[in-house]
Amino acid sequence: MVDLYVNILIFFISASAILYVALGGADFGAGILEWIVPKELKEAQQNVINKAMGPVWEANHMWLIILVVILFMGFPKAFHVIVVSLHFPLVALLVGIVLRGCAFTFRHYDAVKDETSQKAYSFFFSLSSVWSSIWLGVIAASLTRGLLHAKGQDPYEIYLEPWFGLFPFLMGLFTLTIFTFLACSYLIGETRDERLKSYYQKLVPILNIGVVLLGGLVFLSSYLEPTQFMNSFFTSPFSLACLFLASVLFYFIWFYFKYFSFWMVRVVAAAQVSLILMGWFFVHWPNLIETKEGGLSFYEAAAPEPTLKQLVLALVIGSFFIFPSLFYLLNIFKSKQA
Amino acid sequence: MDDLLAARLSMGFSLGFHIIFAAIGMTMPFLMSVAHYKYLKTKDEAYLKLTKMWMKGVAILFAVGAVSGTVLSFELGLLWPEFMKWAGPIIGMPFSWEGTAFFIEAVALGLFLYGWNRMNPWIHWMTGLIVGISGFASGIFVVAANAWMNAPQGFKVEQGQVVGIEPLTAMFNPAWFHQSLHMQVAALQAVGLAVAGVHAYLLLKKRNKSIHQKAFLIAMTMAASCSLIQPLVGHFSAQRVAVLQPVKLAAMEGHFETSSQAPLYIGGFPDEEKGEMVGAIPIPGLLSFLAFNDFEAEVKGLNDFPKENWPPVMVVHISFQIMVAIGTLLSLWALIYFFLLIFRKKYPPWFLKITVIFSPLGFIAIESGWITTEVGRQPWIIYEWMKAEEALTSVPGMTYHFYIFLVLYLFLAFMTAWLLKRLVTYYG
Repeated sequence: MVDLYVNILIFFISASAILYVALGGADFGAGILEWIVPKELKEAQQNVINKAMGPVWEANHMWLIILVVILFMGFPKAFHVIVVSLHFPLVALLVGIVLRGCAFTFRHYDAVKDETSQKAYSFFFSLSSVWSSIWLGVIAASLTRGLLHAKGQDPYEIYLEPWFGLFPFLMGLFTLTIFTFLACSYLIGETRDERLKSYYQKLVPILNIGVVLLGGLVFLSSYLEPTQFMNSFFTSPFSLACLFLASVLFYFIWFYFKYFSFWMVRVVAAAQVSLILMGWFFVHWPNLIETKEGGLSFYEAAAPEPTLKQLVLALVIGSFFIFPSLFYLLNIFKSKQA
Repeated sequence: MDDLLAARLSMGFSLGFHIIFAAIGMTMPFLMSVAHYKYLKTKDEAYLKLTKMWMKGVAILFAVGAVSGTVLSFELGLLWPEFMKWAGPIIGMPFSWEGTAFFIEAVALGLFLYGWNRMNPWIHWMTGLIVGISGFASGIFVVAANAWMNAPQGFKVEQGQVVGIEPLTAMFNPAWFHQSLHMQVAALQAVGLAVAGVHAYLLLKKRNKSIHQKAFLIAMTMAASCSLIQPLVGHFSAQRVAVLQPVKLAAMEGHFETSSQAPLYIGGFPDEEKGEMVGAIPIPGLLSFLAFNDFEAEVKGLNDFPKENWPPVMVVHISFQIMVAIGTLLSLWALIYFFLLIFRKKYPPWFLKITVIFSPLGFIAIESGWITTEVGRQPWIIYEWMKAEEALTSVPGMTYHFYIFLVLYLFLAFMTAWLLKRLVTYYG
């Protein structure tokens, strides 16, 4: 039974990670877009972001909490290694998440909309979106690079080495670009402003190229790493298949763009990012994280059976509440009529 | 500052910050729902304005609560990784339910905030109520997890390994009920009082009387009802602590020597060196009675426990006294309210003024209550199983962690207060 429970949990971890990146990632991307948009489109873009993100950002953010709870309850050994060796990037991410959520809400709900404070909220919203996206990428890269280490006493070894390097940094930039791409692909269908629409249409191909270039650099930089991430990637049939499919989807994105089928652009963009995420996530299958002492698999890191059973129960029963309500939320605010 | 102290302060400060927003997030939606219900039934525009004013407050405070709660879910591991490794599988269950409840709360809030004129009005009203119900449920789950740290059960330890885990037994530990009940009533009481205080202030300023009178009545009724219930709940909680954690009760009461007919001390300070209370008024036998319903009952004193297992007595005693004093004061204030409501049918300005002055007291009581229970458990992180120092992370530089979150949260506290002031001025 333990293996069955673990497999179900792997499904929930993957689903939460995909949903966090595909939905929450776009919210980060929105903050990044606010920074790069030309002045004359600023207001139009801010309106569409408020409209698109307002009702859903808190729900999107919840996937991260679900992910953390699954990790600390279901895979406590892995969680332990992560929180010790990635202390610094996690704190950095949290500071960003706090500032971003507050800045976004404050901007919308401040009773007095004066220019100075609105500008300040927007600045913090964008800054923390960029900041958090980079750290999310750094953390993701660190889980696979094989330098996690929770046992030693040497501050450098446990504090800095696990996440410090070119590979994690490039992965941070890659994440930033992907989130921006996602936001662009989603917002294009939300806005009615033609100028903004054509701006996004120009931006998406540029971001696509950025994603490919940075992805290549991430692979190359992994040669400097002890785990040879690139070799693992290219010897994993699953990851290769994900990469192949994600590449094929580029064609569809451009196709749907051309024919202004923006709903399909969203779906394809989300699918593409999910494939990239899964290709990365399962590169060291069945390992959940790579430590200095070797890989720690889902099965090794798992909690005792009674705990797994309760966690699976909570997630399955919870899903019956969460998914219908989430579907209802998206239906109200994201349906074609909305 | 050493790493252990810095980690403790970080955790304490994060919890102390979050609890205010959590309390508001799980109770204010109920106030909002009452006003909204009244609007739907009577079509009185004043109720609509009130609902929207409260809704904006909820939106701001909920966001701060949600993100500071995220920090906490990580911080448990970031600061106390050994604790989480050990306790995560045992006590993760209420957290997983809390996650579910919180998720539903976030979805319902999105629907409520942005769903005006997009949904059937009564379904829209329901979403607001669901925000409150799921928030309330998540509060109960989290407190149940904390209660386990005070009354751990549902596991065995064999050769240093945790075995025989029973997550349900752990969740429904002997402390979950009284702690959850005490906290939830406190949240309703504190939030009701703070909201009533704001509207009392605006009534005194003679602004928009029709709105603020309605608001005052709704918030006051909630706060005052809970203020009458809370002393009983608190008494019940203390009796449970007397059984489950006698050393905590002894510290709360400054009770050093085990005795029957144990006295209750009013005021004063505990002198840990000499092992006695200084400047307190003893009421013989009352502690025995309060703890065990019997004036002759024996109450264990601090001296019965090894000194290294004492909590910081001064902090626990004083914070407990503050909480009890506020609880007593508020129950009197609630009696006056109901007297005025039933016999006079109006509130004189002096009562409004008192309410304004009292408005932060509920939150001060919540903070002192949490200090009592958390500091009162020290040096243990899991009572009689694991000490806080054993749970501490090996990562150095916890002082920086503390300062980072201190600055961040002080900044956010300032910002939130400023935003609420703007909101009140705008709608007032």
